[in-house]
Amino acid sequence: MTATTALPTSRPTAGSHLTGAGIVRSEWIKLRSVRSTVWSYALIVLASLGMALLMAGTIDFGGAPVPADQHNSLILQASTFGIYFGQLIVAVLGVLVISGEYSTGMIRSTLTAVPKRIPALVAKALVLFATTLVVGLISVFGSLAIAVPLLAGQDVVPDFSDGKLLADLALSAVYLALVAVFALGVGTILRSAAGGIAAALGVILLLPTIFQLIAGLTQAQWAADVIPYLLSNAGTGIFTPSFDGSGLEQWQNLLVVLAWVAVSLIGGALLLKRRDA
Amino acid sequence: MIKAEGLIKRYGAKTAVNDISFTVKPGMVTGFLGPNGAGKSTTMRMIVGLDRPTSGSVTVNGKHYADHKAPLREVGALLDAKAIHTGRSAYNHLLAMGATHGIGKARVTEVIGLTGLDSVAGKRVGGFSLGMGQRLGIAAALLGDPATLILDEPVNGLDPEGVMWVRQLARHLAGEGRTIFLSSHLMSEMALTADHLIVLGRGRIIADAPIAEILAANTRTAVKLRSPYAPQLAQLLQAADVTITSTEPDALTVTGITAPAIGDLAARNGIALHELTPVGASLEQAYMDLTQDDVEYHAGGATPVAAPAPTTITEEVAR
Repeated sequence: MTATTALPTSRPTAGSHLTGAGIVRSEWIKLRSVRSTVWSYALIVLASLGMALLMAGTIDFGGAPVPADQHNSLILQASTFGIYFGQLIVAVLGVLVISGEYSTGMIRSTLTAVPKRIPALVAKALVLFATTLVVGLISVFGSLAIAVPLLAGQDVVPDFSDGKLLADLALSAVYLALVAVFALGVGTILRSAAGGIAAALGVILLLPTIFQLIAGLTQAQWAADVIPYLLSNAGTGIFTPSFDGSGLEQWQNLLVVLAWVAVSLIGGALLLKRRDA
Repeated sequence: MIKAEGLIKRYGAKTAVNDISFTVKPGMVTGFLGPNGAGKSTTMRMIVGLDRPTSGSVTVNGKHYADHKAPLREVGALLDAKAIHTGRSAYNHLLAMGATHGIGKARVTEVIGLTGLDSVAGKRVGGFSLGMGQRLGIAAALLGDPATLILDEPVNGLDPEGVMWVRQLARHLAGEGRTIFLSSHLMSEMALTADHLIVLGRGRIIADAPIAEILAANTRTAVKLRSPYAPQLAQLLQAADVTITSTEPDALTVTGITAPAIGDLAARNGIALHELTPVGASLEQAYMDLTQDDVEYHAGGATPVAAPAPTTITEEVAR
């Protein structure tokens, strides 16, 4: 390693300053330049395609014809199966995007470059949302491409005429992206990978079970009333017809999920702004 | 130009920085010296807004760091060599940092060359040695070509060549009229690099003066002499500010009087001198004297017992 002390006399950075677009670009560079991101996203796509293959390829109706009004629902299920798995991966990824900065000390570099702090978190959320959305879309539409020909062998054919099937598929990717942002907020609040991942996965996986147990054991109506508003239940309700009889419309489910995201992200933002780094 | 006024930082019951005010001027290297735990890093973190002062304020070029349009062009900071994601390459780290300010690949490549990281720029930071991490941290600090540079213990972990390089870099950048604020817990390092010194102990400023002044005020030259008539000479030397210690029967160490004066005195009294050597007290000793009351973590039993505390400097220059 050779070291020189001569600094160029020109001022190579003249005129450059902090911009929103610059912060977003910075976060995009950060997201794509860490291996865990690439692996996580690759895993989501592969798992989605694999599950679509498994479900569409092995389903057998015993020769009985499937009613035409259930065709789209079947195809939707086969194509979005990966989302149930993918939400766990993006929950981990969302936490790691910020907790990785805390554990390595990178957060101090980040906050030195963006001392107002909140723009850095917003940029992280935007980049994570957009990237996860694209990965989600690739996953579900890739799964669709696998499921449709396989199910056609069972005489199940999609009906794209009203656009609802395509919209639902796209919404499932939106849900996936929102889970990632929710987890980012959780990670920002807790700052540690272990705690953040446990909390994010706990909300997604454990809360529904816990409330079902409470509702089942105590017959408590309030517990039963809460269930449809839990993140993963409302999330599923964004892109699939309500199956728990909660009566929430798709857009209402979307609002519920957005509320979860807002609470976690705003909570994270307030703490990020207030705490010493 | 960095200006701190009444800066206080408390963590719970512990006061890390206790009401300090200072100015770091452009065009020179200002050393920030103090034992571990004195509050140097906390102060530096407050300058760039990572830690919020409990009270008081600190500005860079007249504004709070966060209020600048281009913070990285105002201040480049190396606060912690490990403030870098270990899973990312050095190049991508710098690229991401620069992107926030629209600083592009050309400048990133430039600072990589400047810090001698060319051969490892594509490697993940996790595998870097402490020295390479320091170089990368310095590269990041230089990214915005900043008018003010804050370097917290920059020579930590560097090899001798690297230490020399940091010294020259600091001097060179100060020569360009930039403000250089450099911390260390090593007085010897400061003596070689700094023009001005702010000494911190237990969260308080003990001294804030040009380095020469601090050295002069805290360096008491001693004279070693050897004579067969040492006891008689000791008798003659007795005076108010003269301290005499004897390590061997025929040897004395005298402070408070110059070597020529001793020689003249001995000649007048017909005492033969076999040796007369002025000994400059070390910089380290001056620093130890300055901070001895303010070291937070003493090694057990190593506390100097009867060393005279040169408290005068504190009152003179600490304002």
